[in-house]
Amino acid sequence: MTTAESDSAPRQSEHVQWFANLDQQVDCTVMTKGVCKDYVMGEITIHALDDVSVSIGSGEYISIMGPSGSGKTTLFNCIGGLTKPTAGSVFIDEIDVAQLDANELAWLRCRKIGYIFQSYNIIKVMTAVENVLLPMLFAGVPRDDAQDRAVEILERVGLGDRILHTPKELSGGQQQRVAIARAFANTPAIILADEPTANLDVNTGEQIIHLMKEMNREMGVTVICSTHDHKMLDVSDRIVWMEDGQIKQIRRREDVDIKVDRLAEKE
Amino acid sequence: MGEGQIRQWEIGHLKLRFEVVWSMAISSLRVRLFRSFLTCLTITVATAFMMYLLTMPRAAEASEQQSWYLMLTLALIVAAAGVLNAMLMSVSQRYREIGTIKCLGALDTMVLYSVLLEAAMLGLIGAIAGAIAGGIISVLLGLASHGGNVFQELELGGLGYKVMFVFFVGMILTTLGASIPAWVAAKMPPVEAMRGEK
Ligand SMILES: Nc1ncnc2c1ncn2[C@@H]1O[C@H](COP(=O)(O)OP(=O)(O)O)[C@@H](O)[C@H]1O
Ligand SMILES: [Mg+2]
Repeated sequence: MTTAESDSAPRQSEHVQWFANLDQQVDCTVMTKGVCKDYVMGEITIHALDDVSVSIGSGEYISIMGPSGSGKTTLFNCIGGLTKPTAGSVFIDEIDVAQLDANELAWLRCRKIGYIFQSYNIIKVMTAVENVLLPMLFAGVPRDDAQDRAVEILERVGLGDRILHTPKELSGGQQQRVAIARAFANTPAIILADEPTANLDVNTGEQIIHLMKEMNREMGVTVICSTHDHKMLDVSDRIVWMEDGQIKQIRRREDVDIKVDRLAEKE
Repeated sequence: MGEGQIRQWEIGHLKLRFEVVWSMAISSLRVRLFRSFLTCLTITVATAFMMYLLTMPRAAEASEQQSWYLMLTLALIVAAAGVLNAMLMSVSQRYREIGTIKCLGALDTMVLYSVLLEAAMLGLIGAIAGAIAGGIISVLLGLASHGGNVFQELELGGLGYKVMFVFFVGMILTTLGASIPAWVAAKMPPVEAMRGEK
């Protein structure tokens, strides 16, 4: 990629600093350029995202940190094509998401993006294996093949003995594993995980993060994961810090000293 | 890699698979079995009433004719409103689920057709049951008031057509009543849908 960096010519001086932190990304899975998202609520306008530019390389594991309300979910929704940015563009492997029609967007969500949510969002009335089947059925995989693959992935995430259980028979951590299996079902290029551990206790949360990291390594999939918890940062390649809808910092993992209560730069 | 990036994939299209629509509709019916049964019952009652009106012994006076049409219209409206209400409830309980499956790549049309199919299946069962029940009621009421020569008194001319008519009207009303909820569900933006009730 020769043009990405110069195209996204930083408008503010602080941007220069972020891009200096980037290696030359040869293949860039996700790139946002000056993405803004405003919500107009009567008199006031909320700038949920304010000029967010970031390039994420293929196979990277990115953690997004930031206080509640800093715009993490909104950014995910823009990247996943669920929300149209007010300004700026999102590129997935150089495809401008805004240019896609409804069917192409559905295809993108189905085949290239895997979502993992804070509240699991497992379909309550379906078993684990049926949940994992769904995205494959949407993608056009024959049911028998999809069934085999669903069982295989559920075994991979450690739920081989739970495939016929419904969500109410599963713990939070197990439900999130089903969600991970479901997100990986169509071998996506990108996983968007929005605070996947926020509803889990610390140990279970760490297991989930490590599972995502393993899948990230095994399948070479790009993982973008937002979190509150500094303990979850260790697995990331880079850490993005958001505040008030803006990116304040992007740091490589090795440049950051992770303390439990703060993110300090190494001396 | 040379100039620019060579993407490993091209954007594709999703096809609507009837098999998937079918299994979504069936699963939704099965899960909400009791409500499905009640909806079905609404359709049955309305269709039975319609069938009864068509086959009951009819007086020839104009005023009676008018009230006959009025009753027929009322039966149809009640049936459509019942289905509309039932399907709206069924859909609104599923906002979150619909938002989720859209994130997983469900097409709007898939959501649309699965809600319509769900209603159509209820309509099918309800309309068949209603047509039969209405006929039986006609005969029984006729027996009570006219005794043995009931079959001369009843309007049984073109019985086959009447059954078909009642059946199709029942089906069409059900599908019409479901079309608004189905549209609402299909057009719902996934983000808003998932923000909804937990
Ligand atoms: N649909 C919406 N309507 C109005 N305001 C919204 C909407 N979604 C998000 N916001 C606002 O945008 C800001 C960023 O929210 P969000 O992206 O959910 O942050 P985070 O996920 O980091 O907690 C918040 O101030 C929030 O209130
Ligand atoms: Mg959030």
